[in-house]
Amino acid sequence: MESITNSIQGVPLNHYILFCAILFSIGVMGVLIRRNAIVIFMSVELMLNAVNLLLTAFSVHHGDASGQVFVFFVMALAAAEVAVGLAIIVMIYRNTSSTDINVLNRLKW
Amino acid sequence: MDVIITISLLAILVLYLGLFKAAKALLPVTLVGLLVALGLTFNHWDLANNTKSIFSGMLLFNNFSVAFSALAIISTFLILMLSKDYFERISANVAEYYTIILFALTGIIIIASYHNLSMLFIGIEIMSVSLYILTGIKKRDYASNEAALKYFLMGAFSTGFLLFGITLLYGASGSFDLTEIRNYVASSEEISPIFYAGILLSIIGLCFKAGAAPFHFWTPDVYEGAPTLITAFMSTVVKTAVFAAFLRLFYISLSSVTLQEFWVPVLVVLASLSLLIGNITAVYQQHFKRMLAYSSISHVGYLLFALIALSSASDSAVFLYAAAYTIASIIAFAALMVVQKQVGNDSFDNFNGLGRKNPLLALTLTISMLSLAGIPLTAGFIGKFMMFTGALSTYHTALTVFAVLNAIVGVFYYLRVVVAMYFKDAERNELAVPVYFKIVLVVSTLATIIIGVYPGFIADLI
Amino acid sequence: MNLFYFIAFLSIFFSLLVIFSKNPVYSVLYLIVTFFTLTIHYILLNAQFLAIVNFIVYMGAIMVLFLFVLMLLNLNEDSEPMKSNLIKVAGVVAGMCLLVTLVGSFRALGDSDPLILKNPEIGLVKNLGKVLFDEFLLPFEISSILLLSAMVGAVLLAKKDPKKI
Repeated sequence: MESITNSIQGVPLNHYILFCAILFSIGVMGVLIRRNAIVIFMSVELMLNAVNLLLTAFSVHHGDASGQVFVFFVMALAAAEVAVGLAIIVMIYRNTSSTDINVLNRLKW
Repeated sequence: MDVIITISLLAILVLYLGLFKAAKALLPVTLVGLLVALGLTFNHWDLANNTKSIFSGMLLFNNFSVAFSALAIISTFLILMLSKDYFERISANVAEYYTIILFALTGIIIIASYHNLSMLFIGIEIMSVSLYILTGIKKRDYASNEAALKYFLMGAFSTGFLLFGITLLYGASGSFDLTEIRNYVASSEEISPIFYAGILLSIIGLCFKAGAAPFHFWTPDVYEGAPTLITAFMSTVVKTAVFAAFLRLFYISLSSVTLQEFWVPVLVVLASLSLLIGNITAVYQQHFKRMLAYSSISHVGYLLFALIALSSASDSAVFLYAAAYTIASIIAFAALMVVQKQVGNDSFDNFNGLGRKNPLLALTLTISMLSLAGIPLTAGFIGKFMMFTGALSTYHTALTVFAVLNAIVGVFYYLRVVVAMYFKDAERNELAVPVYFKIVLVVSTLATIIIGVYPGFIADLI
Repeated sequence: MNLFYFIAFLSIFFSLLVIFSKNPVYSVLYLIVTFFTLTIHYILLNAQFLAIVNFIVYMGAIMVLFLFVLMLLNLNEDSEPMKSNLIKVAGVVAGMCLLVTLVGSFRALGDSDPLILKNPEIGLVKNLGKVLFDEFLLPFEISSILLLSAMVGAVLLAKKDPKKI
């Protein structure tokens, strides 16, 4: 374990911020350019994961465990959101009784 | 704390009542439970206003949170009074709807009294997740389905921004506690740039939830697609709660002068955009519900004034404005529900001749429209007045002039429905207004007028 | 140190594949790989418990749910049109968002100190449990309401109505 954790010694905190910002922006881009509801939703999960990693990095940086505890709450939220979101998608599928993905693609904003 | 426990237990009790097929008892039990919770809220009332935070700094029940919780509970009470026979027409699972509304209310009370960003996050999410569900409860209605999906995706997206903002605030200050963050700002000589990015991203996240322009694009479709009762809940109670959260974060943690120089211009831009877009698009609407949806965007603009002119008077200004807006909107939505149910359509033409056939309905709707437009002697005027004096005291003259011009535009489209009711004749039958609706209409109208005539008794509360 | 950059590169690479692959099923699979690389990041930060939870909850539960719905609804055809004209707007917005955060972090770059594990014990179960059940007890309890309302709602929405109304 020592040797693994030693390998991050020397990585500046800024590179973590940068890395998570890039991941987050990729998620944002995914939400904006895709039309399939499920892929949009996956991009949102990507955003949440970028936040989780950044929280952990900050928590290690400050030597304060509360950041890692916050990650639990984000994960609880992610689980709840996934359940509700996929239920909504299943409901729409039931309502239209078709496997036609154009129903989900008709979203416009 | 008792309030949160009472309401969440009440939600579970209602769920069990549904299990045992006690459909008749659902609404009375819910209403009685809300009254009990309202009584318990005032337990935290403290005249000296020096309450301590509880649960290692997680919650702080001061007069501010008591006032906003009470407002949320009272308006939920009024909205639920309108729900008699409403859910039954949608589906058989009535108990679950009451349960989820009560869960949403729990989240709202948490975000009115948080003192730690983790509580803010969890409260907002309890509220939003419940609202995604409530938007989609008309399972066979395509508009409701699409509204639920859209609201869900946009809500999850905005949660991402809010979370990133919270993370950056944590990264700079090393704590989620509001007081600790304030201490960080006060003690550090140079505030870390990621703290500014965090403020910006939190503003974006919260504005998404409140529906301020340019993050408003989901509101019209969602408000129109959702069942009218849920729209009433979303555009009144939820908006108020998000603003309570906004105000608390900015007032406790981010109110130092150097930080204000950073975020006040951002909010000025957001407020003027909200006013402009909300009012201009509301003028062109032909349907009452959609008009209310767009005008709610402009009300967010007015509410942002209190943040721009942040001072100790801001909380009573926001409270008064939110109370006036909530009560008037409840009347408007109640009238909308009556018309929608019996005519089936909510375009302005369907309000023609209502003044002769339903004098009570027309009168109360007129007063609510006057209040929303901000005509003197109604609550809405006092709310706008306090917002504008606050903005003028911090020398935002141009913004205030712009807002007054927008308020004049607002008068135009709010009075359209009044004109339709009184001055356009149409052959129509009298609409049956149920007793529950009458109670809500009369009580809310009285409240509007009383606040408008004696604003002191509510403005001095906090 | 180089391990971090290698894994970070892999994460970014696979997350780009998630949003650019045409077929949603591929997207889910790439997302699983992305989450796996993030798990390695957690291990590098010595956040062992989070690494395990991330592995179980995200890669296990959440991704299975995604795949399940994709398969159930038969959404795995790649007939989805891309928003051609909106892509530019989207790119601008995303670029702006990226820019704000990048500028923020670069301005801090001057005095950026390398990340040091001040307290290697911090991410272990023992330590996290103490914080979670002491300081963060209330949010922990309250999040049960979140899960309960999501559960009720998911059943409510996804259940088949017994009768037509």
